[in-house]
Amino acid sequence: MKALRRLLRNSKQPVRNLSTMSASKQREPREMKSLSDHELMRIVQAGDFSPAAEIYDRYSARIYNFTYRFLRNSEAAEDATQEVFVKMLKHANQFNGEAKLSTWLFSIAANWCRDYLRKGDNKPKDSDDVLVQLPADQSESPHHRLEQRENQLRIQKALQILTPDQREAILLSRYQGLSYAEIAQISGCSEGAVKTRVFRAMETLKKALTGEASGGERCLTAL
Amino acid sequence: MSDCIVMREQMPLLLTESLDPVRRETTHQHIEQCAACGEEWAGYRETWSFLEQLPELEVPPRMKQQFLNRVNPPVEAANVVPFHRRPALRWLAQAAAVVVIAGGSYFVGHRTPSPTTTVVDKPATPALVTSAMPLRPNYQPAAFSIAESRVLDANSISPVIEGRPDIQNISFTQLNAPDDQIGVSFDITSHMTVTGRPTDKTMVRLMRYVLENEDRMAPTQTRAIDWVRSTYSQPGNADPEITRALANVLRNDSHEGVRIKAVETLTNLPAGGATNDSRDALIQALKTDPNPAVRLKAVEALSNLLKKGGQADPATLDTLRAKAAQDDENMYVRVKAAEALSSVKP
Repeated sequence: MKALRRLLRNSKQPVRNLSTMSASKQREPREMKSLSDHELMRIVQAGDFSPAAEIYDRYSARIYNFTYRFLRNSEAAEDATQEVFVKMLKHANQFNGEAKLSTWLFSIAANWCRDYLRKGDNKPKDSDDVLVQLPADQSESPHHRLEQRENQLRIQKALQILTPDQREAILLSRYQGLSYAEIAQISGCSEGAVKTRVFRAMETLKKALTGEASGGERCLTAL
Repeated sequence: MSDCIVMREQMPLLLTESLDPVRRETTHQHIEQCAACGEEWAGYRETWSFLEQLPELEVPPRMKQQFLNRVNPPVEAANVVPFHRRPALRWLAQAAAVVVIAGGSYFVGHRTPSPTTTVVDKPATPALVTSAMPLRPNYQPAAFSIAESRVLDANSISPVIEGRPDIQNISFTQLNAPDDQIGVSFDITSHMTVTGRPTDKTMVRLMRYVLENEDRMAPTQTRAIDWVRSTYSQPGNADPEITRALANVLRNDSHEGVRIKAVETLTNLPAGGATNDSRDALIQALKTDPNPAVRLKAVEALSNLLKKGGQADPATLDTLRAKAAQDDENMYVRVKAAEALSSVKP
């Protein structure tokens, strides 16, 4: 009888709303923040997608900036960013933990961008998205602001002169701070090839942005 | 000149701080001494810092929500019917549940018949052993279970096993019958026992099925092989299908203990129609099995085959020669291979 009473008392507890539950135990966002990338991925690999938001917060800006600068198309960059994180969840088991999560995400993003450019009409747009999206710094003088925007446009245009391989290498090296070994992993080539790509990219950018003839050429001529 | 070419190539590496200390120092020294390269270096540095002006863009906030919606689609509020327990019916429902549980337990407990009698009926029409098997129930009481048990004669069942049925809890029994009947019991949709002579096609197929489906029946595997050895080692019961099944176990099973048992059983089986299968499986095991104990058993088995007077085929001899000469092979395996070769009559 006591057992029956205990059973009845327990049955008065509120019923949980199943619609708010995911496939497995829900975790607190605060708890997620303290976990490393690899720990978050292990949770995802176990079939629990609750770390998705945390991983997105950690890497979406880097992926979005990389894809935007690569493609110079904000719509494509948005699609690419979404796809990177969806693929990350779908193919989480392919992440073996030997590489950094960022390296894996950048390889997905770079693949997506290469596929995008390979398709017929998907050439980088000559758009002014960067001017539209960035709020101007009001503390600067109008003249300085104009100059800054012109420089940004020049850089964007100079980046588009590069071959996709060179652009990928210089974006990952200059803006994402990745090592040549990591870039080689992402691009699926040797470290030597990455060095060559960065070197060629820098040669082209130097000509385009500083408007100088190659000093190396002058050096060789002088000698 | 060659120095300038090398230094120029190293300048981007200098920018990304990817040079080792020695080369970094050498490059800096060259830049200081060579005016043209100094100018080149200044150009690189200017370009590098100019690139910094490209701003970091902010991710549009709507993108996160779109992504999370793809991960966990929101439930349509209109389709959600809130669940409210009805206090008025609660006591009634609980009382009904108690009655159902108590009544059900009483009914099930009294439905289990006495375990002393066994009635075996032959079904009128042959049946197939399948995963959804509508067999005519022939009631056999089980002393340990409240589930129904059916007994079927092997001759009343088609020997074709369809649909890879998931059979569990397999056990083997030697029936005290004058014609050496055996019985194989297992759970499918109900507990079932198939009885028949070891040579009946249905019994052979059933044994083969049990042997070859180790992935789902691993605990049964060694018992099945033992049973096969004791039953099919008798000359009258030899069957090529059993030999092939054992050869497959030797090739495919992941447990070395099971593979060793398969080799031992293959050695004990009387020469039947599948000697080639047996020999091929032993040769393959000797060549490729990762476990030296299995390879040792295989070489012994091949040696026995040769001693039994079987004609020494070139494949067996080649494999034995290769093993005897293989430097990185286990010493016992090499010695056994050499012994087997020495027993071959020229």
